Amino acid sequence: MAEIKFTLNGVERTLDVGPKMTLLRILREVYHLTGTKCGCAMGACGTCTVVMNGEAVRSCLINPKKLDGADVLTIEGLAKDGKLHPIQQAFIDAGAVQCGFCTPGMIMAAKALLDKNPDPSEEEVRKSLDNNLCRCTGYQKIVEAILLAAKRMREE
Amino acid sequence: MADNRFPYDEPVNGVVCKTTPVFDAALKVTGQMKYVDDFYLPNMLYAKFLGSPYPHANIISIDTSEAEALPGVAAVVTYKDAPDVVYNGNGEDRNEFPSERVFDRRLRFIGDKVAAVAAETAEIAEEALKLIKVEYEQLPFYLDPEEAMAEGAFKIHENGNIPMEVNLGIGDVDEAFKEAYKIYERTYKLPAVYHAQLEPHGCVAEYGYDGKLTITTPTQDAFGMRENLHRIFGIPMNKLRVVNPGIGGAFGSKIDLIVEPMAAMLAMKTYRPVKMIFSRREDMVSGRTRHGMKVTNKIGIDKEGHVIALDVKAISNAGAHTTCTMSVMWAMGGKIFRNLKCQNIRFKGIPVYTNTLPAAAMRGFGSPQAFFGEQVMFNLIAKDLGMTLPEFQLLNLVDPYSVDACSGDCNGNVRVKDCLRKAMELMDYDAAIKEQEESKKSGSRYRIGVGIGVGNHGSSLYGIMPDTTAASIKVNEDATCTLMTGVSDMGNGAVTTSMMVVAETLGIKLENITPVYADTETTMYDVGLYASRGTYLGASAALKAAKKVRDILSEQAGLLLEIPGSAFTFGNERVVSVDDPTKSASIQEVVDYSRNKSYKEVAASETFSSIDGPMCYGVHMVKVEVDMETGRVRPLKYVSVHDVGKAINPGNLEGQQHGGMQMGLGYALTEEVRHNEKGQVMDTNLNKYHIFKATEMPELITSTVEEIESSGPFGAKSIGENAVVPSAPAVANAVVNAIDKEIDQIPLTPERILKYINA
Repeated sequence: MAEIKFTLNGVERTLDVGPKMTLLRILREVYHLTGTKCGCAMGACGTCTVVMNGEAVRSCLINPKKLDGADVLTIEGLAKDGKLHPIQQAFIDAGAVQCGFCTPGMIMAAKALLDKNPDPSEEEVRKSLDNNLCRCTGYQKIVEAILLAAKRMREE
Repeated sequence: MADNRFPYDEPVNGVVCKTTPVFDAALKVTGQMKYVDDFYLPNMLYAKFLGSPYPHANIISIDTSEAEALPGVAAVVTYKDAPDVVYNGNGEDRNEFPSERVFDRRLRFIGDKVAAVAAETAEIAEEALKLIKVEYEQLPFYLDPEEAMAEGAFKIHENGNIPMEVNLGIGDVDEAFKEAYKIYERTYKLPAVYHAQLEPHGCVAEYGYDGKLTITTPTQDAFGMRENLHRIFGIPMNKLRVVNPGIGGAFGSKIDLIVEPMAAMLAMKTYRPVKMIFSRREDMVSGRTRHGMKVTNKIGIDKEGHVIALDVKAISNAGAHTTCTMSVMWAMGGKIFRNLKCQNIRFKGIPVYTNTLPAAAMRGFGSPQAFFGEQVMFNLIAKDLGMTLPEFQLLNLVDPYSVDACSGDCNGNVRVKDCLRKAMELMDYDAAIKEQEESKKSGSRYRIGVGIGVGNHGSSLYGIMPDTTAASIKVNEDATCTLMTGVSDMGNGAVTTSMMVVAETLGIKLENITPVYADTETTMYDVGLYASRGTYLGASAALKAAKKVRDILSEQAGLLLEIPGSAFTFGNERVVSVDDPTKSASIQEVVDYSRNKSYKEVAASETFSSIDGPMCYGVHMVKVEVDMETGRVRPLKYVSVHDVGKAINPGNLEGQQHGGMQMGLGYALTEEVRHNEKGQVMDTNLNKYHIFKATEMPELITSTVEEIESSGPFGAKSIGENAVVPSAPAVANAVVNAIDKEIDQIPLTPERILKYINA
């Protein structure tokens, strides 16, 4: 057991966890932040993607050691004051949501991308989703949603 | 030609035929949507199960005492505790060749259920599984259906390894072959594939001292599951609730009982909530697949290029249990008769048990297998006859209102030829073919190929079984509505479609309707969210209930406005008298009148059963680039055109097409559930089992041919399954045309393509 400190959706957290835990399990089982999904627990599907220190990471691959001192943003931390984040709104408006199981991970991957690159090409958007699988949408409307969000955020 | 066969509702309020996000999109984009794994209930136990290490074995002895003694273990269940009830866990086929027990002494595939443990944590449950001591007697096993069906083969199930052959036919096929100008015969091997829905199987089971069992599960078939659980456990249905919290993808995989009976047994033993969620590996080893098949097509052609005889023989790998293998076989056979004008067609389907994981429903339900060989052969035949493939298709495909001689049913407002013409335009077909030929002439390492695939699928279970859905609507005190529908939703938008139909009919805003769906306790019966019936049946039931509500509101408005018996139009949350348009009232006023003056709640429940079974068609065209040195295929452009009747939710429908294209590309090029010689599934994670990624997708172009299907709600028929049906042959034909060699198997992996190139 080791004590770790990290920031979770803007709140300082201190936690004692065993080495076998992962960020995904901490989010879901300790904080019951269940918006981050578990689709494979081995980094193959991207449903557990969160933003850590500005990078999109698959939380199932993050062990507690790496988490110490980190700044973590999950899907629950995105909407502010009852208003959806522009990426979330764009996913709705572009029809990018079907079953929704990949959606939080897709949105967080998009968040990391757009924070770094506010005007990505379609190719760059697709590349940023390389770790995220979707079985419903063929990715088409997800890509459209991210490009729409980027446009709206640039115009804001 | 206008379709006047059934009374058809013209939309007037602008709600339907307009792109609308799925109703729960805001929950899904914020992470607030609660899928089954997101339930953390007080006092909950976590369950894990032990899978068979052998493809075919008997349990000689099982000792669970050490597992039970492990601190934190609440219960262990095995065949010793299980009801001695043999069932078929597929709701549709629950009466067809039941083959499974919750736990059985006989294990029929690697991953079959040996025992399950419920413990305070999932880790303890895992630990306990290792302490279960099992002595097995290994039995002969079969992975290849042709070995399992051979005479004298060891019986996997009591009645042998072929549950039942399916034979269908029209005309005189043998005589027609005698008259044929040319005869072609080919055999194709089609793989079992994995649904790869991103949410693995799982459920939460609760059992109370009141004797009530509640199963929360992302099911496509809440009522089918309840019926089966009722049979297995003998619990009366009023004390058996199956409720769907929302589905993280299914594609047919979430029809069968899989985890539910195990979790139920543990809950009933402990009187505590039990959560059982499959790991991805478990999902891939103990879940379900599409049926792998070997399909032989023999096609006879006359001098003008008409198909005059078609003989199809399919050997289907059912895997270890029956599930809906029989219905897939019947459905596959039935659809073969509905693509072509040809009147001499024969189908023989041989489903065979083996010791691979069970095959079950998957998007297309026999149709992908039905049309693959036909369409790949059409490509060869057209070339051989010196025709273009579109010419050959147009000569042979069915026309609107053609009648299927096999079932005697009308195919409906078939627009497959229009789909073909539209797809050619969108692909810029002639230019693409030119590009293909030039790439060949240039001798380039990278060859272009263009392929076409055509297929059909139904829009309900019409003619197959009693096909009903019931919907209820209650109008609240503030004139908003609650829609209760048995229809599930797996992200395909089925519930949203029903809501749109109600809003359109009552002239109220969509946001004024809240759905309650797929809950055996609060919604009425629905056959299940499969067979592409979510819109055609589900929305028809909602429409029927909305019309009944409209009747009640009209009656009350007549009394309120003192024009009893008047007819009313509905729009903008108001009713307006047809007889005297100066007389109108808000729905709120009518509801208030009904409640306060007539002492009558405004509510209705209606059952809808299908009145017709229109077929839906699709034409896919794909352009690929093949690397002749590595055998790698890069899809470049993909056009999907479907005749859908009217699109109730066009953007959503497009999303269905896109998803079908992704799934079809995988079926054609990368996906295959492979077993090694020991009977183990070889690819047990989503790195090894490759589904298409965002970077690998080609340019997607979708379109529809929208001609009214008058039997459907606002003229709609279906899209869900058909979205994938024409895909694989279109991709395969593109590859064939690029490499100028025949193929006999999918997926077309680089290794296989190199083998064909070098053949």
